[in-house]
Amino acid sequence: MNGVLDVALRLLVVFVVFLTFPLIVGQTEHKVMAHMQGRLGPMYAGGFHGWAQLIADGVKFAQKEDVVPAGADRRVFQLAPAVALLPYLLVLLAIPIGPSEGAVGQVLDAGVFFVLAVMGVGVLGSLMAGWASANKFSLLGGLRTAAQLLAYELPMLLAAASVAMAAGTVSLPGILHAFHWWWVPWQIVGAVVFFVAGLAELQRPPFDMPVADSEIIFGAYTEYTGLRFALFLLAEYAGIVVLCGLTTVLFLGGWHGPWGHDGLGWLWTLLKTAILAFLVIWLRVTYPRLREDQLQKLSWTLLVPLSLAQIALTGIVKVVIS
Amino acid sequence: MAPIPGSGLAKGLAVTLRTMTRKTVTEQYPDAQPELPPRTRGVIGLFEENCTVCMLCARECPDWCIYIDSHKETVPPAAPGGRERSRNVLDRFAIDFSLCMYCGICIEVCPFDALFWSPEFEYAETDIRDLTHERDKLREWMWTVPAPPALDPAAEEPKEIAAARKTAEKLAAAQAEQHEPQEGAS
Amino acid sequence: MSLAPTVSLAAGHPGFLSPTGVEIAFLLVGLVTFGAALVTVTTRQLVHAALWLVVSLGGLAVEYLLLTAEFIAWVQVLIYVGSVVVLLLFGLMLTKAPIGRSPDADSGNRWAALTVAVAAAVALVWVVVDAFRTTWIDLNGPAAGSTRVTGESLFRNWVLPFEALSVLLLAALVGAIVLSRKAKAESNPPHVNSRGVTESSPSVTDSGIHPVEQEGAR
Repeated sequence: MNGVLDVALRLLVVFVVFLTFPLIVGQTEHKVMAHMQGRLGPMYAGGFHGWAQLIADGVKFAQKEDVVPAGADRRVFQLAPAVALLPYLLVLLAIPIGPSEGAVGQVLDAGVFFVLAVMGVGVLGSLMAGWASANKFSLLGGLRTAAQLLAYELPMLLAAASVAMAAGTVSLPGILHAFHWWWVPWQIVGAVVFFVAGLAELQRPPFDMPVADSEIIFGAYTEYTGLRFALFLLAEYAGIVVLCGLTTVLFLGGWHGPWGHDGLGWLWTLLKTAILAFLVIWLRVTYPRLREDQLQKLSWTLLVPLSLAQIALTGIVKVVIS
Repeated sequence: MAPIPGSGLAKGLAVTLRTMTRKTVTEQYPDAQPELPPRTRGVIGLFEENCTVCMLCARECPDWCIYIDSHKETVPPAAPGGRERSRNVLDRFAIDFSLCMYCGICIEVCPFDALFWSPEFEYAETDIRDLTHERDKLREWMWTVPAPPALDPAAEEPKEIAAARKTAEKLAAAQAEQHEPQEGAS
Repeated sequence: MSLAPTVSLAAGHPGFLSPTGVEIAFLLVGLVTFGAALVTVTTRQLVHAALWLVVSLGGLAVEYLLLTAEFIAWVQVLIYVGSVVVLLLFGLMLTKAPIGRSPDADSGNRWAALTVAVAAAVALVWVVVDAFRTTWIDLNGPAAGSTRVTGESLFRNWVLPFEALSVLLLAALVGAIVLSRKAKAESNPPHVNSRGVTESSPSVTDSGIHPVEQEGAR
């Protein structure tokens, strides 16, 4: 009975995190982006500096009619948002935020593989949406999504593999237990590659060619309305949380910090994740969208060689140390 | 010197970060009134005391959004035995702001300074027909018209003031002449 | 596909009369996987076939998980669901796959295909059953398929096949690059390094088509 309760509690906590953190990131994006553009952002909803804007948005989305285009493939069209969203929920289960047993949803032996595999599945949702919408813009968006995934999955995997090599394990808590501070400079190239590739996989600006609103409306999500559209948006922001959390765990030492090692480790994880989330927003505000060929070029001619070089470096240092 | 690779990217990041730390330019309009320049062209006010119903404004209006009705009244002669004068009396003066394109030609052409720009701008309506504003409303807006700007220090005196000053000087001179003989007599 | 029959054979062991929860789950997931695989090859809707393939491959991953082979399970998801199916869908989208039934989806080789499939399945089942007749996986003991165990057996006992496979894949990779480069040189020699997956729009704007269109417009 105790075990069941424990599992239920963990699931509940992960679920609550899954529902709140993306909203916090979204609200931060509203405000940070506004101030970076000399604006104030939402000011009304909720009274104090528009803190409830996203809740209001959620209510709005829930009220909207759920339209399925006449020519669409109904079943696939309706299933797509769930396929896009659920993987991120599963990934959150595996991310450890503190050193103790209780600070992770579920300890997995092959955690790195699990998170990367499941994150890749999320893109299937975009592909299904793109194809099932019976819309040319959606189809173009789907094509671009697929091309982008194929291009960026490889450097992401290679960068993650570099850390796994350094730690000698593919379990996420295991990697963190093996972490030393000098891993940060050692793996910095891999960290950058991982983060950039993750951004591209999430289709965040400046890598948002698949949803480029000025040319293909909203890519695969063009035909979506109401709650299903909101689910896609939620998936994007949950993706940010997951990517930042993963980068923190893999490259920035998760719960390790200059002080407060015992008990306050989870605070370090959250802090680092928050800083990375800010970075995601910052990059979005600063850079213009990359063209499709530039996107592919960046991945194949820069990120893949860089990650391979990182793996070579990791191997050399590892051999020298041992 | 060739720039360091990626320096442009860093510069971009610096720009957005700097903007974030600066004050925003957002006007929180319904909560705080905007600070408009004094000569803002918000709405057209009518100073109906000056209007002679010459119809110049209505005729020059490019989209014919000014409606004027009037009738003639005869005024009894000022001096006994004089001729009766006829005078135009304004019955209706209305501007349809759903047609008006705020070109300001009516204000330019008014020979008697009866039309003015007012910075007032909060006169939105939910029905387009309510945007035709009558003389009383136009007269009310007259109160929001700011005083004319001060002239340049070396500018020529305005005609009206010059005329008034000349009359005043003449009057003063006449009074002084009346006084002088008295002084000489004493 | 071939797993489900294996399982029923395995369940014929003493555990058959009092199957554990894991065994029941294994059977059910196996049935789902088998069903999804059947639908994949019989459906007339091309993209649906690809999506049913996702279900089938995902089911296989769950089976691996139930057999405590966690590493293999996640690799299965990563490579097959995450990449191969995406590639498949990408290809389908390029081919104007219709929404709804494709009338020409049947190649007319139904019976031949069925024969080959059954033959392959029988061969596989027979080989696997014969090879592992008395080998049992202890589901309650230490994981038999953890990353460490898999890695050790792969790099100690099976290094030669592993390396041979990697050389094969490398050769395929090099061959693909050589082929694509040659095709490129013949069709349009210049600039854009599209690698087969980029859209062709940049090359259109860059090449001589654009000025000509403008001339025509004038």
